[in-house]
Amino acid sequence: MNTQKRIGFIFLLVIAFGVLFILNSNEVTGAAKQAVTAAKIKKAPTGLDDPAWQKAKSANVHFEGKEKFAGKKAAVTTKAVYTDQEIYFLFSWEDTTKSVTKGAWEYDGQKWNHQKGNEDRISLLFEINRINNFATKGCAIVCHVPEGAPNAKEGKFGTSSAAEKGDLWHWKAARSDPAGFADDTWLTVISEKKGGRKGDAGKGGDIKNMTDDKSKPKYMLAPGKKLAKNGILLASDSVEIKDYSVFKPGDTITYRMPKMPEGSRADIKAVSRYANGSWTVMLYRQLDTGHEDDMALNPRKKYNFAMALFDDSGDEDSYDSEVLSLQFGR
Amino acid sequence: MNKTAGISLETVFERLALDRIIKRLKELDVPADALTWHRFFGALLLALLVLLFLSGAFMSFYYSPSPGSAYDSVDYALFTVPFGDIIKGIHHYGWNLFLIVMGLHLVRGFWVGAHKPPRQLTWVSGVIILLLIPAFIITGDLLPWDQKGYWSTQVRISIMRSVPFVGDFMVRLLQGGPLTGIVALTRFYVLHILFLPVLLTFLLVIHFHFLIQRGLSDSLSGDNLSTKTVRFFPVMVNRWLILFLCVTLVLGLISWYWPAPLGDPADPTDSTYVPKPEWWVLFLNQLVSIFKGPLSVVGSVIIPGGLVGFLIALPFIDSSPERHPARRKMVMLVAAIIAIAVLALSIMGYLEHHV
Repeated sequence: MNTQKRIGFIFLLVIAFGVLFILNSNEVTGAAKQAVTAAKIKKAPTGLDDPAWQKAKSANVHFEGKEKFAGKKAAVTTKAVYTDQEIYFLFSWEDTTKSVTKGAWEYDGQKWNHQKGNEDRISLLFEINRINNFATKGCAIVCHVPEGAPNAKEGKFGTSSAAEKGDLWHWKAARSDPAGFADDTWLTVISEKKGGRKGDAGKGGDIKNMTDDKSKPKYMLAPGKKLAKNGILLASDSVEIKDYSVFKPGDTITYRMPKMPEGSRADIKAVSRYANGSWTVMLYRQLDTGHEDDMALNPRKKYNFAMALFDDSGDEDSYDSEVLSLQFGR
Repeated sequence: MNKTAGISLETVFERLALDRIIKRLKELDVPADALTWHRFFGALLLALLVLLFLSGAFMSFYYSPSPGSAYDSVDYALFTVPFGDIIKGIHHYGWNLFLIVMGLHLVRGFWVGAHKPPRQLTWVSGVIILLLIPAFIITGDLLPWDQKGYWSTQVRISIMRSVPFVGDFMVRLLQGGPLTGIVALTRFYVLHILFLPVLLTFLLVIHFHFLIQRGLSDSLSGDNLSTKTVRFFPVMVNRWLILFLCVTLVLGLISWYWPAPLGDPADPTDSTYVPKPEWWVLFLNQLVSIFKGPLSVVGSVIIPGGLVGFLIALPFIDSSPERHPARRKMVMLVAAIIAIAVLALSIMGYLEHHV
């Protein structure tokens, strides 16, 4: 083969493959869905300000208000990185009020009352098993009860069939963050009486700190222990109150005491900071926990997920994102 | 060398009554330039076709042709089965490359006058093979049951339905009813893995029959290498195997770095999804969008049909013995106009749908 033919051959192949790549790129053929691309890193970030985050591209995810927030908007700057073992998300959003009350007890000198106020939260929903139409309609399919469901009025979460399962990562400023975790739960079929949201296998969640007659707190900080982040009393640091006379007016005690999670429920660890009117939250987890109640992440795949933001609110008073695509850089 | 446990390979062939065939193959001579760089595209197409058949057969082991499970079965084959993503990628990039190389094969054949007597039917059978490839792509596109495949099929079906007189019948025949559901998916699957491959193999046999009987086209330079011969086995087979391995390796590497896309699961209720036409169909799509209303048949049937008619009739229109492009000005001008029109429409379509 002479040089001319060789050059021609190489030129032809380069053109052919070039055309192939350009016309078959995922961006061209894919639907217009906002992507969060996790950057591959070698060393896991140790905190919110780790230089590793500079490698991740920011996605400014927009949220639409629902229920009492209807008509309002919010935005969360989202980043993701991953190592061979773990995935890390970094979320930051403006919030003029740090809300960690979650109905804490306050003593007025006569009796105990619940303080007004809820908590700030952010949640992510992935699919463990495919949830029909989640890829196109997102949380509308599960977070707001399938249309016509018997308990639609109660606003329960759930899927339409047992085969459809979701993985819900739920960071709660008052009920999970002080323990250093996001609550790891999952979604299954919604039943007539109950929603489909379940805690992952193991222990976790929180305990309602109240006496049997619900009139006052049952537990207080155990001697020698310290309150956790945001002044929250962890269940593991509490002791039953024997003498209520030690309290003076204005004293407060946590109402919803986070439990230190164990087992599959302890898969998602959290680090957070509230400063200058903004929350910054890092959530991280094994790519594949090996647990049936978690979705396994394979960096060669893309995943649909959706997020919800709660500003000092509960139930369905939230800001919801559109469906997002989690992708992995190489 | 040819003895295994005391029995020679020749004896085995003799027992299997293959000895005469093997002998003929060993003594078969083929033109020395049957697989050289200037006759590269045909061999490359054959390599790609074998790869497509093999990768498709592999994927069919895991595929479930039902709307409720098709997507998950593809997802499983792609990401859970070892090397599934590579094999799916080879299939995906393979057919894209196949179309490109087929186009180049056609252009090269036209350029050197390979359609001229006595090779008219070699050309015609090649054009018919070319026409069959979109049927593979269209039927294969729906199989993953993802948004892109589902909604692209809807667009194609609506275009098919616009064909006068036979449109509705063709749609009913293809999808077994008014909706694209389980019957449609099963029919597309059977067409894709059974009927179309059998038809393609049959057409390839015809193409090779004419190729062998009418010979390879002579080169424009006048170097008549076709008069020199080499043994089919092992010289030609080895050359082809090297090519096959190279193509497999290149496509495998591409698939490793850029996995074949799998979109979101099909949601027939999601009318907001707008499928984007793929590169090979951009010019046809643009034709359809230019001719609307009562003229839609012009863009969907008349012009594409005319183009096909031109390709098939070419050996009989451009039948003079003159093969050099510079001395076939009229036909070259017509071809250039068609090529420019196809390219311009494709660019317009790309700018409209992808930018």
